[in-house]
Amino acid sequence: MDFIIITNNPRVRDEYGAKYCVLYQECSFDEILYAVRDKIHKGHKLLTHPLSGSVKPNETPYKSIMISAERGAMDNDSVILIEDAINMATSGKFEKYRQRQATLNQRILADFQMIDFFLITSGIESAQTGLMV
Amino acid sequence: MSFKVVHYINQFFANIGGEEMAHVAPELRDGLVGPGLALNNAWKGEAEIVKTIVCGDSYFAEHEKEAKEQILAWVKEINPDFFIAGPAFNAGRYGYACANVAIAVQEMGIPVLTGMYQENPGADYKNQVLIVATKDSAAGMRQAAPTMAKLALKIMKGEKLGASCEDGYMPNGIRVNFFEKERGAKRAVDMLIKKLADKPFVTEYPMPSFDRVEPGKAIKDMSKATIALCTSGGIVPKGNPDHIESSSASHYGEYSIEGVMDLTEEGWETAHGGYDPIYANQDADRVLPVDVMRDLEKEGVIGKLHNLFYTTVGNGTAVASAKAFAAEYAQKLVAAGVDGVIMTST
Amino acid sequence: MKTLELGYIHINDIIIGSESKVENGVLYVDEAAVKALVLEDEFLKDVHFDVAKPGESTRITPVKDVIEPRVKVEGPGGVFPGMVNKVEAVGEGKTNVLKGMAVVTAGKIVGFQEGVIDMSGPGADYTPFSKTINFVMVCEPADSLLATDPEATLPIDNEKKPEYERAVRMAGLKVAAYLGELAKNVTPDETEVFSTPNLKEGMELYPDLPRVVYVAMLQTQGLLHDTYVYGVDAKRTLSTMMWPTEIMDGAIVSGNCVSACDKNPTYIHENNPVVHELFKQHGKTINFVGVIITNENVYLADKQRSSDWAAKLCELLGVDGAIVTQEGFGNPDTDLIMNTKKIELKGVKTAIVTDEYAGQDGKSQSLADADPLADAVVTGGNANQVIILPKMDKVIGMLDYVDVIAGGHAGSLREDGTIEAEIQVITSATNEMGFNKLSAR
Repeated sequence: MDFIIITNNPRVRDEYGAKYCVLYQECSFDEILYAVRDKIHKGHKLLTHPLSGSVKPNETPYKSIMISAERGAMDNDSVILIEDAINMATSGKFEKYRQRQATLNQRILADFQMIDFFLITSGIESAQTGLMV
Repeated sequence: MSFKVVHYINQFFANIGGEEMAHVAPELRDGLVGPGLALNNAWKGEAEIVKTIVCGDSYFAEHEKEAKEQILAWVKEINPDFFIAGPAFNAGRYGYACANVAIAVQEMGIPVLTGMYQENPGADYKNQVLIVATKDSAAGMRQAAPTMAKLALKIMKGEKLGASCEDGYMPNGIRVNFFEKERGAKRAVDMLIKKLADKPFVTEYPMPSFDRVEPGKAIKDMSKATIALCTSGGIVPKGNPDHIESSSASHYGEYSIEGVMDLTEEGWETAHGGYDPIYANQDADRVLPVDVMRDLEKEGVIGKLHNLFYTTVGNGTAVASAKAFAAEYAQKLVAAGVDGVIMTST
Repeated sequence: MKTLELGYIHINDIIIGSESKVENGVLYVDEAAVKALVLEDEFLKDVHFDVAKPGESTRITPVKDVIEPRVKVEGPGGVFPGMVNKVEAVGEGKTNVLKGMAVVTAGKIVGFQEGVIDMSGPGADYTPFSKTINFVMVCEPADSLLATDPEATLPIDNEKKPEYERAVRMAGLKVAAYLGELAKNVTPDETEVFSTPNLKEGMELYPDLPRVVYVAMLQTQGLLHDTYVYGVDAKRTLSTMMWPTEIMDGAIVSGNCVSACDKNPTYIHENNPVVHELFKQHGKTINFVGVIITNENVYLADKQRSSDWAAKLCELLGVDGAIVTQEGFGNPDTDLIMNTKKIELKGVKTAIVTDEYAGQDGKSQSLADADPLADAVVTGGNANQVIILPKMDKVIGMLDYVDVIAGGHAGSLREDGTIEAEIQVITSATNEMGFNKLSAR
């Protein structure tokens, strides 16, 4: 399965950038969700869950999401999932984390990068085991 | 010192009469009347009904604005610690009046409570005002009065509200934690056993429900179709001639766009109070796209744009009201031979 | 018929000293021996032990896992198969349990690690582990795991955190097995028998009772979010079936470090409350057929496959009803709804257990996914509820990270030692297997 990883996690860029198609942008958690939504509107299919991990939206500033490289007709299930994720992330209940992000030190940021890296790695492993999506 | 309470009831519970007396205008009486006794007794002197407001249900329905003004003026003068309305059980107009009077008093900064049956149309307001769930007839007064009295006293004392199932109010969209008697796993097994036996059970988290509407049949030839515009975005002729409320709208408007090619700042505005109106007021086409529809009409993409549009404000408007509006004007659209509708929201 | 007898030995005290034994309800722990056992692992340099008792002014944090010591007395295999004992199938014979106590592993794996157990005060009401006598172990990483970069996160090298997580996870299980072993020849204070008939026997025994299966969803999203079944990382498994008693012998263990309030610690797997409640009704109102385990992966096709399989197994078994439980927040809601919907569409009635993130004001939508077919829901409460945790006289573990744990926020550790946080920082506060009485409406 050919895929694209959309991420704001520098660790994912550094470790997978040369191996896979990684679209890195320096942006917020929410902006990654919006970027993925825009791709879905153009016919890419969502391959990993946008709220993967039990780390809460904005608790971690990092998010990596895998979408299909191939474009087809717009996939309704993908639209619903990404819209639900955007609603959840921007609902205000995780707002306190957003304010906290500025106070996170490099060590904590590295840990959040690591968690997100592991999550997307488990997605890559699944993507490589077959053609099925 | 006990808390001062004002009680609102209708003509029936004030012993004035039934439907034939529903036209009576608001009246202010000293002390308690009718069901107020049960509330007062339950408070055991900690709170007391100082005044009772009686109003006919038809009067309220037909003169809502005047009735509210009078009631609010009295409440302002009395300045009570608490305002309680009903219980209305399954009396529809009484429930509607209780909820609306309570909301108005609440807006003055006075805490309020009402009570009614869950299917009473007034229960649509359960997310805006605290409503105790009662039985569907006045026979339920024996249970309703102590529950309402207890909850009212709790609020007067400034105590924290418990979960809806603890304090007896209708779920109001605000989730409150509490400790159950049994652990979750037992509750789940008990719930499943009831479900398997087709016995009634109550879910602890009702899934958000969406009214699914079956889409209409596809229009085969758009170039011959008459298309109407409708909106819940509150677009009205400048000055809002029918006074559509900026929230909790009680009616809709029907306006002509015969010959109108573009909604201009001079002629049109929004009545909606739930979003920043600047951009809609600058160019109402942003909400109700008359200009684009005229282009499509000209290009022959659609047959024609219907000469009337229907509009209301979707801000806090009860679902039941919105349904009733649409059911009514849908008939008018059908009668006018409209083939399709574009409904815009904000 | 698969039968397991659990023998409960009530533990009233734990004394750390120079001898290991269980006598008259007291667990004596030979510190040197347990330490040596833990330090067999090349990735651990040192370990500190402490005891926390109910009612004490003690806070344990950050908690990684909680484990109940058990030992096989009769029957095949050993506890925590595939982890500290051979992978041989367990779930029958006799197993002794040290009741009223728990092994708690604490210590930072990642910088934002969460998990608070208060032994007294308001926080104690929310965690089941304020009611157990806790043998707490704080593990220190070996030098080989330490970062050379002075700017690195924690003292531990980023690349080596998975090794450290594994080492701490294994240390907890090894110590629990060691302590359990001390009770192998102790006569239990109380016994309880759990028997599951096979499908044919069950149909014959209870022809008129509705047949019910338990669908347990396991968190499996990648390192630090994983669950192990007989030593296998459950994210690489298809949905499958187990005897309920296998779980009681520790066949499922937690490797999950994230989401303190609604991850399932090993202790709660061992004491799976749904399994116990279904056994209570077994043969009376229902016929408890068994357990289906299914995972919660990151990859959407995996979610689809796993939920298809869970529903297919329900169909294959021809059950009438299913209880579905979840682990974690956000994307597991999608798995929960997929499972529930697909199982209901097979004509099997469901009741499900979840928790909520409805915001501090309780006004937000609670779940990330929803479906009207999920019409019988039990909730473990709103994890966003704010709580003030007073200062405790003693802290086991470390407090410096509290500002960054989930549900805490900048300034949440106040100067006077109190913590203002959401209940999601509290270990197992909103457990989604229905272990607690906390709920919401």
